[in-house]
Amino acid sequence: MGMKGSPICADNRFFGKGKVKVKATWRVVLFFAIFPLLLALSLLLGPSGIGIPDLQSPSGSAILSLRLSRLLMGMMTGAALSASGVVFQALLRNPLAEPYVLGVSGGAGLGATLIILAGSGVLATLSLPVVAFVSAVLTLMVVYGIASQGSSGQPSVYSLILSGVIVSSICSSVIMFLVSTASVEGMHNVIWWMLGSLQPVTAGQQLLSAALILGGLAGIWLLSPRLNALALGREMAHYQGLHADFVIVVGLLFATLLAATAVSLSGMIGFVGLIVPHVMRAMFGPDHRKLVPLAALGGGTFLVLCDAVARTLLAPIEIPVGVVTALAGGPFFLIILQRRMKQAWIA
Amino acid sequence: MEQEALTFRNVSAGYKQRRVLDNVSFTVREGEFVSLIGPNGCGKSTLLKTAAALLKPLSGTVELFGQDVQRIKPAVRASLLGVVPQKIESPMAFTVSQIVMNGRISSMGRWGNPSSLDHDLVERSMIYTDVLGLRDRFFTELSGGEQQRVALAMVLAQEPKIIMLDESISHLDINHRQEVLQILMNLNREKRMTILLVSHDLTLSAGISDRFLLMEAGTLAKAGTPAEVLEPELLSRVYNCDLTVQQDPYTGFLQVSGAIESLRRRGKLERSVHVIAGGGSGIELYRRLLIEGYEVTTGVLNRLDSDAEAARALNIPVVLEQPFSPVGADAIAKAMEMISSADAVVLSQVPFGSGNLVNLQLAEAAIQRGKMVLLAAGIGERDYTEGKAAVDVAARLKRAGALNWNSIHELMAHLQQQPHH
Repeated sequence: MGMKGSPICADNRFFGKGKVKVKATWRVVLFFAIFPLLLALSLLLGPSGIGIPDLQSPSGSAILSLRLSRLLMGMMTGAALSASGVVFQALLRNPLAEPYVLGVSGGAGLGATLIILAGSGVLATLSLPVVAFVSAVLTLMVVYGIASQGSSGQPSVYSLILSGVIVSSICSSVIMFLVSTASVEGMHNVIWWMLGSLQPVTAGQQLLSAALILGGLAGIWLLSPRLNALALGREMAHYQGLHADFVIVVGLLFATLLAATAVSLSGMIGFVGLIVPHVMRAMFGPDHRKLVPLAALGGGTFLVLCDAVARTLLAPIEIPVGVVTALAGGPFFLIILQRRMKQAWIA
Repeated sequence: MEQEALTFRNVSAGYKQRRVLDNVSFTVREGEFVSLIGPNGCGKSTLLKTAAALLKPLSGTVELFGQDVQRIKPAVRASLLGVVPQKIESPMAFTVSQIVMNGRISSMGRWGNPSSLDHDLVERSMIYTDVLGLRDRFFTELSGGEQQRVALAMVLAQEPKIIMLDESISHLDINHRQEVLQILMNLNREKRMTILLVSHDLTLSAGISDRFLLMEAGTLAKAGTPAEVLEPELLSRVYNCDLTVQQDPYTGFLQVSGAIESLRRRGKLERSVHVIAGGGSGIELYRRLLIEGYEVTTGVLNRLDSDAEAARALNIPVVLEQPFSPVGADAIAKAMEMISSADAVVLSQVPFGSGNLVNLQLAEAAIQRGKMVLLAAGIGERDYTEGKAAVDVAARLKRAGALNWNSIHELMAHLQQQPHH
């Protein structure tokens, strides 16, 4: 995702020359200066001690490669969740929308649980993202179907969110049931996965997930100018010459692919898909051509940092990363939102 | 002859449960300025949505410059036709120039990079509509009128050949309304842009339009020049109220206004009307009679009838009878008392059966006492009595001088002609 010479940066004219716009551009520059530093910082943190591991010793280089692979896991998962949240919020035109609220994460989680309980092995780990995606799409179809009942044509955002929340909690109940009837080993595997962690998975699954996530991000970035038009609603987007329904369906599929792959990779990590898009929108404005890549980078960086804290703070005990995202990120994000909400939503 | 810009051929359209447009046919030629008028809920917005291919017609075809609008590619359609909706809403904090740039979305490349042409068009549209000074403001912070001008700028940036405006100018202050209309007229004259304007200001539209399309309950009631369509009788029927049309002696423009006396502040009419209704057919009568200032009584009604509930809610004196039982002597006597003190008796479009035939006989008694009786036309289709007894009574009523009414407008006219007691 190199940004130099990318279409988004090339287009400085879009920002105009006003004071506000210059400030916004500076913010982007600052962001691109800071996020590699934060990523580098995460490489210094770990249960084996703070600082650069001794690369001469075999254990030292093993530690660094472990930290690097967790960095990659975090970047993938965080970017996927955050970009997915951006798309859901844009398509539903609602600040509450995110993969969890629409039942997408719940459905993906249910599919992943079934695979984890069914067994281990190369085939199982490789089929994990695929099954998670398929079950997430099925869940989304169920949610959409329920919400469409009784409305003429398009379901309202409110009925979508309401049925999404309900279907989502049904999914987690089924997961709980499956876990409670599982063998001890299966139970351990599922719960460990469900708590959410960036423990490296097999190389095969990592490669497949990386391909799926990069594909999803690229797809969403291609859609991003159209997401701007859809922010004025399906009707207006249609008048402006978009295949509005096509864009909505493709956008939902890409967002679901991202969320499901993230869930299959790292379990149920909440918060990133909801809050990171809001913060990035508050910082950089709602233009999706900038917002999609910025949110992906921001989400990834945020999750990588949280993971570094999670594995270091109570070492050798590792805190589930989802706990850190909420506990550490929450107050920080609340402050930003409170100060800059006007730049993001009408609220 | 100019090219046909927009053509409806026998179009019926609507939603799953509800058909809104019924067999509408018309043609708008390139370069015409047409106003689409009609009362609330008559299908104007549905017509625009069907024209813009947002709704698929249930039957018939819509053509844009000779092509079936359902088959035109969306991006091409947007270069032919722009729609300014009643209101646009953006939940996110887009700036005005970002919103206007959306008008170029289908002409931009895959990456959505505006070219210098796109920037120029956006700039020009914002200058035209006087929103350039707002370019860095958040769209959601603007007033309704400012938002409307931004929406127009966005659609102008689309560079369409036809612009359809859905009541878009009604929120504007008088200065900007004149300005926007002037912009539309200039585009119409200089660029031969075709304009279809949904409007509630008949007088204003009469001054600027080449033609009017008048809609009534999903059908096209009349299409023609302003002078042809602005017929007081026709308008009064379609809008269901008294309207007058006058020609301004200086400018020659047609002016439509509500009849002055119908708007005059007035005291009670001191006249009462007894309404014979049932099954919900009385509610609109009660409403209109009360607005006009009549004292209203009603009955005999079944206790569970929706008209009975409406009468109770409106404080209208009402004679009730138990459900599922024949109308008793008590109720008949009470209703007769009400009729005696009324100036006129109005019969709604209620269906008649053996249970409520007695109501029709009450009307007969009223006319024998010299009361004015007004009977909803077409009783034959609502007569469910054995041997068509209701039709017989209605025929006797007509012979005795009862009048038929077809619309509430006509009914009110009849009531006003009645000499004061």
